[in-house]
Amino acid sequence: MAYEVILLTTMAIMVLFALSLNVITGFCGQVSLGHAAFYGIGAYVGAMLTKAGWPLLIALLPAAGIAGLIGFFVGLMSLRVRHDFLAITTMGIAFLFVGFVRKQEWLGGEIGISGIPAFGFGRIGLLVVALACAGLFAAVTVYLKRSWMGFGFDSIADDEDTARILGIDVPRFKLWAFVIGTAGAGVAGALYAHHVRYIGPDSFGFVESVTVLAMVIIGGIGSVWAVALAAAVLSVLPLWFQFIDDYKLLIYGLLVFAVMRFSPNGIAGALQSFRRRLR
Amino acid sequence: MLALDLLLQGIVQGAIYALIALGLTLIYGLLRILHVAHAALFTLGGYIGVIVTNETGSLPLALIVAMVSVGLLGIVIYRLAYKPLLDQSPLVALIASIGLFIAFEEVFRLVFGSYGLSFENPPLRTQVNLGGGLLISHSKLLVIGMAIVILSILAWLSTRTRTGIAWKATVTDSQIASSFGINIERVRYLNFFIGSALAAAAGVMVALLTNLVEPTMGAVASYKALAIIVLGGLGSVRGTLVASIAIGIVESFGTVYVGHILDRDALAFAFLVIALMIRPQGLFKAG
Amino acid sequence: MLLSVSDVTVQFGGVTAVADLSLQVDRGELIGIIGPNGAGKTTLMRVISGLVRPTSGSILLNGQDVTGWTIDRRVRSGLALAQQIVKPLATFTLAENVALACGSRRMGSPWQAMTTVDRNAELQRGRELLELVGIAAAADDYPSAVPLGYLKCLELARALALEPELILLDEPLAGLNQAEAAQMADRIASLVTESRSIILIEHNLREVIRICPKLFVQDQGRYLDFGATEEVMANPKVRAAYLGEGAI
Ligand SMILES: Nc1ncnc2c1ncn2[C@@H]1O[C@H](COP(=O)(O)OP(=O)(O)O)[C@@H](O)[C@H]1O
Ligand SMILES: [Mg+2]
Repeated sequence: MAYEVILLTTMAIMVLFALSLNVITGFCGQVSLGHAAFYGIGAYVGAMLTKAGWPLLIALLPAAGIAGLIGFFVGLMSLRVRHDFLAITTMGIAFLFVGFVRKQEWLGGEIGISGIPAFGFGRIGLLVVALACAGLFAAVTVYLKRSWMGFGFDSIADDEDTARILGIDVPRFKLWAFVIGTAGAGVAGALYAHHVRYIGPDSFGFVESVTVLAMVIIGGIGSVWAVALAAAVLSVLPLWFQFIDDYKLLIYGLLVFAVMRFSPNGIAGALQSFRRRLR
Repeated sequence: MLALDLLLQGIVQGAIYALIALGLTLIYGLLRILHVAHAALFTLGGYIGVIVTNETGSLPLALIVAMVSVGLLGIVIYRLAYKPLLDQSPLVALIASIGLFIAFEEVFRLVFGSYGLSFENPPLRTQVNLGGGLLISHSKLLVIGMAIVILSILAWLSTRTRTGIAWKATVTDSQIASSFGINIERVRYLNFFIGSALAAAAGVMVALLTNLVEPTMGAVASYKALAIIVLGGLGSVRGTLVASIAIGIVESFGTVYVGHILDRDALAFAFLVIALMIRPQGLFKAG
Repeated sequence: MLLSVSDVTVQFGGVTAVADLSLQVDRGELIGIIGPNGAGKTTLMRVISGLVRPTSGSILLNGQDVTGWTIDRRVRSGLALAQQIVKPLATFTLAENVALACGSRRMGSPWQAMTTVDRNAELQRGRELLELVGIAAAADDYPSAVPLGYLKCLELARALALEPELILLDEPLAGLNQAEAAQMADRIASLVTESRSIILIEHNLREVIRICPKLFVQDQGRYLDFGATEEVMANPKVRAAYLGEGAI
């Protein structure tokens, strides 16, 4: 039972994390190779606050707020660079975050923060909170996609110069995507910190950023359900592969490669063509 | 003296970055793919270099074997992994490449063990006095020398030979090139061969400097090389060279003077981010 | 005065694409801009719309100085343009392409955009505009599936969707056959109203002369002439620039 609870909590947190990147990369077309930084910011803010005595549920708000605020500034930077330049700039931001944290005594430096308090309502309680957050965020993004803002995001992802000519306020739309997406990552990070109860600079590195981007792309860019599914499966895949421990990462890597190689539009694309074939 | 020492250190590091990043630039210039798995070829080059040297006792032979075999592997990767994805969004190739990189690292760990390999008789460890107490090891001199030699050969190839000219034309505009009867596919093979061979050479050089090859030694190369080619203007060979040396120097000075605030990687990326905010297209225009 | 371009110069590196040009457009006018290839017509249009920044000079729209404004802001305050090279949104149907433009003025604020889900009104309006430009049958097709002539019409429909006071058209007739061009020219002329002006950049002199009461002529970035069409066409300097030296 306890094992299943841990597994499900991991899934829910990763689904939230992946959906948050999906707003930026999937909806708005702005590729980020540094999303783990915002996950990390949320984790550090959440951990520091609960260690100072705040209840987790309240600490989630500043975790979202501060991640979103920094996301806003990164969004401002994203207005200057595009495409692959943007992807690498965001990657740079993530390295700056990790490099900065490493040297901060008050954030635990290299060693990180341990002894993060357990959630007051136990493991099951944390699972419920994580599921609620992921579910709520999924609902928000489904709504967002259907709203006019989602329509605007589509146009920016398609061709931002043309979107501007059609009167779309591209910078503001992009900033909103960044703020919503990074705030979501902040919540996911705070939950993660209280799930594993130890965080350090290495928990939020390049690999984590790449992993979450892989979830979005493997799901199928933009599709909320497919991205959630991909995140749920990929997040626990290494755990399921425990029995072939030594080969689990090899299989993971090959799987990521194979999905892209044989179904470039991800799970969403594969399902779509499957449905078309049934008809 | 410290400043000169650091400068030298930065140049050595920059030369290695240049060898790795150059292949990545060539591939990006032609196919617009961020080829992360390139870093795995760098690691493999290191392994082959150490193993062949230990078996035969000849470093030059090891270098050649590493460059040729890894170059061929580069072609295989292009053929099997990227060619079918050229019509897709570049993101697809990027993620595929990352999957491949993870898989390669695991293969290295499973095949060569997780603790790494060293030279039985580490070559070129002796120091040379450059005058004024400035010491440099033979291996570092070799790295700088190799980088210069390889780059000069490349420059010569690309301006003086038919193949080189065809290659440059293809990088600049593949459609026009193909209308002139250039075989684009051959140029791509050549590109992957040369780029991968350069990465292998860099792997051997790093093995010489550190006397250690490990499965994860490509991790830093995987992201830093991306940063360098972006800083250089994505697809610009000259830009890549300048960016490599610049990042090498920023790192060597930075770790000494501001190392208490930011670590080595963060310094390199701080430089990258600031440079991109000032010049969003990188230091040089592609081409 | 609807549009007032004053002493605008645009340089690209060493090339002066637009040299110290001034142009005034009133409400309800249809002005043709002509000049040989490379005269800087497209650059003039791009500087009016905000796609390039002038090296010097200023642009007033409705009396407001918009020189520093981004293009989308100018578009939301009454400007629209159809570019020489058509740029449809490839993942949008033609109707959606127009619908996006229909809503963009009202949805300028992200808050409004976030709280609006229903886009039927805009899609409906988009279809009407496609009907108006004569390509309603392709409303649900994607741009890759329709011919160039349709995309030219789509550009026009999208420009109209912005409910602009001033429309900039860059070579809308290029690539059309003679009959299509005449039809498109008539359509353009019919779009001018008391509250809507059009600047038409066009190589097809025949149609320009037929529908534009006033012409603005530039050559190598410089001003050549501006006035009533017959007078301009009678100007020997204009004939020389157009037909080459010695053609007078
Ligand atoms: N983005 C640019 N960069 C450099 N030169 C440009 C650019 N755009 C236009 N030019 C140059 O400016 C001149 C005018 O071009 P353009 O405005 O396109 O003329 P037209 O539309 O009248 O044919 C040409 O010499 C062209 O080469
Ligand atoms: Mg033109």
